[in-house]
Amino acid sequence: MKRFSDVTAADGLDLTVNDREYLCLLGPTGAGKTTALRVIAGLTVPDEGKVLFDGREVTHLEPEKRNAVLLSQTYSLFPTMTVAENIMFGPDIRKVPEKDKEQMLFSLLDLVRLTSRADSYPRELSGGMQQRCALARAIATSPDVLLLDEPLRALDARLRIDLRRDLKSLARTLGLTVVHVTHDQDEALVMADRIAIIRAGRIVQVGTPAEVFDEPVSPFVANFVGQSNFFTGTVVHSGPEGSVVEDEAGNRVKARPTDVAVGEKAVLAVKVGHTHLLKLDAAALKGKIERMLFEGRVVHVDVDVAGAGRFSAKIPSSYRGRYQVGDDVGIGWNRNKAKVFPYPEGGLENELKVD
Amino acid sequence: MGSSDKLLEFISGRGFRKGWTAFNIIFFLSFIILPTVFILSSAVTDWSDIQEHVLSDPATMDLIISAVVVSFEIAAIVTVIDFVAGLPVAWMMARKEFRGKQFLDTLIDMPLAVPTAALGFSAAIFWAATPNPPPFSLSAISSPMLLIVLLHVVFSYPYMVRSLTAILGGIDETYETAGRTLGASRLTAVRTITLPLFRAGLVTGAILCFARSLSETGGTIIALATLYGRKMVEGDFQTGPTLIGLWKDASVADPTLVPALTFVSILLIILALVLLVVLKVAIMKVRVPLRKVWPSPEKLLSRGLFPKIKDTSAILFLLIVVIVPSFFIFTYVLTGTPSDADWNPFIDALVTSFVVASVVTAIDLATGIPMALYIAKNRTSKLSQLLDVFVNIPLIVPTAALGFSLGRFWNTVDPAAMPPIVLIILSHVAFTYPLVVRNVVGAVEGIDPAYEETARTLGAKPLQSFRRVLLPMIKGSILAGAIMAFTRSLGETGATLAVVANANTAPVFIVNLVNDQSYYLAAMACIILIIISYVFMLLLRRFTREEVV
Repeated sequence: MKRFSDVTAADGLDLTVNDREYLCLLGPTGAGKTTALRVIAGLTVPDEGKVLFDGREVTHLEPEKRNAVLLSQTYSLFPTMTVAENIMFGPDIRKVPEKDKEQMLFSLLDLVRLTSRADSYPRELSGGMQQRCALARAIATSPDVLLLDEPLRALDARLRIDLRRDLKSLARTLGLTVVHVTHDQDEALVMADRIAIIRAGRIVQVGTPAEVFDEPVSPFVANFVGQSNFFTGTVVHSGPEGSVVEDEAGNRVKARPTDVAVGEKAVLAVKVGHTHLLKLDAAALKGKIERMLFEGRVVHVDVDVAGAGRFSAKIPSSYRGRYQVGDDVGIGWNRNKAKVFPYPEGGLENELKVD
Repeated sequence: MGSSDKLLEFISGRGFRKGWTAFNIIFFLSFIILPTVFILSSAVTDWSDIQEHVLSDPATMDLIISAVVVSFEIAAIVTVIDFVAGLPVAWMMARKEFRGKQFLDTLIDMPLAVPTAALGFSAAIFWAATPNPPPFSLSAISSPMLLIVLLHVVFSYPYMVRSLTAILGGIDETYETAGRTLGASRLTAVRTITLPLFRAGLVTGAILCFARSLSETGGTIIALATLYGRKMVEGDFQTGPTLIGLWKDASVADPTLVPALTFVSILLIILALVLLVVLKVAIMKVRVPLRKVWPSPEKLLSRGLFPKIKDTSAILFLLIVVIVPSFFIFTYVLTGTPSDADWNPFIDALVTSFVVASVVTAIDLATGIPMALYIAKNRTSKLSQLLDVFVNIPLIVPTAALGFSLGRFWNTVDPAAMPPIVLIILSHVAFTYPLVVRNVVGAVEGIDPAYEETARTLGAKPLQSFRRVLLPMIKGSILAGAIMAFTRSLGETGATLAVVANANTAPVFIVNLVNDQSYYLAAMACIILIIISYVFMLLLRRFTREEVV
């Protein structure tokens, strides 16, 4: 646990990272992701709690003795050194013999495709090259764990998507253990072996990308990893085949089986991508199209349902002629895609807040 | 593991690092701050002496009061003149591109290359109405007050222009552009939008000018001695620091002057510290009712001839009031009559000055850099904030008062232990130390801590990450601080005279030559000092330019 005066930045952060695992620490800005990373690296000493590497306590060990390399958001390539000098910084410090160093530099430059830029200075490199150079520098020390703090944030949108693949395959080839901090859920879903969702300094869920997407443990996770629609009401039926939730306006919708008891206040979550526009007579929920946003491949449709709030859905672009703003439409979903949670104590809005 | 590795391991340990930081803080407090303000304690311990010899002696009181008042008057007038004359030039430097900008840039810094003792002599023979004026001199001024104001403008002007240029360069021009697209004339936009934004730069510039003027001793003594054509005596025009110099010299024979010296030093230190606070508050807090706009007259003043007149007169001021008096001494030597002389004493003095300046710079670097690192890296700690304020104290305190206080302090500690040269070195360390610390703090704060953190996670020990990562990035600023400290020490008169009455450094030597009316020798000595300082100045410019951003 790390406290900054009165603010607790990371509290109850229990997390185990497996060997050779690519773990994404996913959470909104200010959730304590970077603090967690700094505690692992030894740059911040926690007020309480322990950091263990292979069962050995390292909580108060100096950063240089941990072999946990941090790659900061801005890469921190040393501006006074060339690409080659940057990459060889770690081996230099460790006094690796000259001959081995040369060999190592050669293969690392090749690995990150910077052989022709070995004598350039960091400021002469493009954003993508800088990122690869920083990565090579980190790998050169053969770290026990590689700590990446939003490593793709400073890049253009397009490059970012290309580099996701590069980074992941590099980590896999070299058998690295990686903790990758990000606030971008797409990035986490694509890259991670496991995702740890962090919120207000606490880990709320750890699981494979499919698990956190399909089986969120709270409305917050449901919404943060792939946006969700929410329906607030009371559980009126619960059985092995599924449950039914009814709101004050009398709308009834179906969901998966739930542990929430009949009569309890509950909130049903269903991913926007699993929400469909239906014909009026076939639907349990009816509303009016409020807004349509053309997003290229799909069209984002917001539907206002009287008494139940706004529901969003994505329809293929080719269907966009079929609907217009102001049309009455039905809303529905496969009951197996909808999950029921107990109504959050602080209210739904509070639960979904990302800061 | 070799012995060098073991040493590195030991130095990198948490225990050693804490101890090292503590050592540097203790050095700073006990060797710099405490001696600087030690004299204040005399107000309590020696009160009866002060009562007897000073407060109950109206003649002495008159001398002290008038000297201190004159000092503050001069400093205030000089600061205002610097601001008015410096603002247009700072504006040109920060905002305009023109041919010869590089040249103007060099020109502004020129007076900094001239030690104030040399500057005082050079300016005095240019302005002052002396019995035998050298050719081409104006030889027009017979008022000592006016002469000293003109002299102080010369060496404080670069500080004001530099501070204002730095802050103007940092203010986003788009605010002003926005104001102008909304219909304001250039003058209105600048006056109501940009000027209020640069109060911080104004505070820095004003404090630097004020402190510099308040502190100046050597140049002032020389200028006055040149004007009078003889060594100064008690009844002459005096500023606070010249009075300290005069009495310190006399106190060797007449110890009853010590309480008076103590009193004037206390007065100068307290007033300087109070002023530091007042100036800061006044400029930052006082709201000048400048919201009102006068569209048509301001529009008129924004166009045509007026801006040209403003720029031209600012440049003319720079040339005639600042540059020509600084270097007038060269014409004097070319046209003066050479006289045979024994140069050995001057060479001795020069060697002493160099030894002092080198040792002082080495001490400044060894203890100032760790202090700067501590201040810059622990911004949130109360101790660091306190030290940050304390570091400025020796910059503000007039060096003559500082020197006297420091001399008294070490005398109290152990009268026998401190040979004069050590006292001189300690007093110079006190007022040059802030120059190194300020430069390094500024540089370190501009550098992302992530560089060093990354180096640590890559396996570098703290010392290695400092030497290999941070040091190459702040090298320029360290050198800049070192060269500033070196030249300030080389040119200092006030502190030297106040700590040891019969010191033998180059500036003091020049003061003595002028007192003896050996003007030709004095001029030659000044020129040698100027050339040496100028070489250092060139080095400074080169190193600060090369810094990697």
